[in-house]
Amino acid sequence: MNCNDWEERIALYAGGDLDAAQNAEVEHHLAECGGCRIFAGGMKESLALLRSAHDDPIAAGHYTAMRAGVLAQLATERPLWRRWIWLSALAAGLVLAMAFLATRPIGTPPVHLADLRPPKTPAAPPSPVQGPVRALRVRARRTVASVGRVPGPAPLEEPLLVKLVTDDPDIVIYWIADKRGEDK
Amino acid sequence: MKALAFPAMAPPLDGPDALSGVLEAARLGDLTAFETLMRRHERLVLVTALRLLGKMEDAQDASQEVFLRLYRNLGKVQASQNIAGWLYRVTVNVCHDVHRRRPDETPMDETAEPVSRGADPQQAVTRQEQEKVLELSLRFLSHKERAALVLRDLEGLSTEEVARILGTSQATVRSQIFKARIKVKDFVERYFRRRV
Repeated sequence: MNCNDWEERIALYAGGDLDAAQNAEVEHHLAECGGCRIFAGGMKESLALLRSAHDDPIAAGHYTAMRAGVLAQLATERPLWRRWIWLSALAAGLVLAMAFLATRPIGTPPVHLADLRPPKTPAAPPSPVQGPVRALRVRARRTVASVGRVPGPAPLEEPLLVKLVTDDPDIVIYWIADKRGEDK
Repeated sequence: MKALAFPAMAPPLDGPDALSGVLEAARLGDLTAFETLMRRHERLVLVTALRLLGKMEDAQDASQEVFLRLYRNLGKVQASQNIAGWLYRVTVNVCHDVHRRRPDETPMDETAEPVSRGADPQQAVTRQEQEKVLELSLRFLSHKERAALVLRDLEGLSTEEVARILGTSQATVRSQIFKARIKVKDFVERYFRRRV
């Protein structure tokens, strides 16, 4: 084996990277080869220099500065992190509120024209109405007159009673109008 | 901010249970616990970064980045895992990034700081010169060679540990270490022969 081929083994031997058998081979060669002994000596010397040059402790101030830099950076990041939590909670609350509203009817309940009939007893007040009834002021224009009145049967003397039924069974609206369409 | 208070002394972390507790507290956002983690591992990170980069300013920047990455990955780091191995790996990667971004190298002669190591000025100059030479010799190494040499010869890790940190085989690490040692030896011998 050429001595150049021993360089790798000697370099690893100098750093303690060989197993016992390989160590023995290298030591056997070094015992016979002066050139490789010089090479091995230089290798060990440079390694020792390298290690001694780097074993000085670093001043505590460098560690403190490094830690302070990290903590300062984290201090600027944490509010953002917390802001994200608040924004997420707010967004979740909005979604829940929208979902809740979506399951409820929006606006006033639709009104169905359920009954349109003259009262059976014109003089009697509308008996179905019980309790407080809100006065309805219908401000509808007399559009019928502007369109033109179709001649029909003789107008009834009795007022017209319109029963408006809503989705809420507790709310029934009665609309009483005279023969000309005016509110009673 | 209470969490940013600097404790005078970091509590000792003896045993994996204590480390788990500190890790868990740090995961929950306790910066004091995270600072305890930093204090425990700062020598590992800063010294390795300094050996890989050669300049304290760069090493501090790299170390800060390493610990910021640790903070952001606390959820992934398990107490049972080797945190030191994780830190070594991230330190090597961050230093590699810093090395790539770094502009042209400033000659060591211009950046060398005067050091005082005792009463003997001649000894101080010799020591300072040796450090300069060794630092210069490391600059002739590739990033992988330098990382392998620093972890194996200066940090004292085993070849197996170095291979795991660098994500390579032990045979590759041995090859990198061998080449790096030869280059350092040749540079040192050439330098001092020329000076003599």
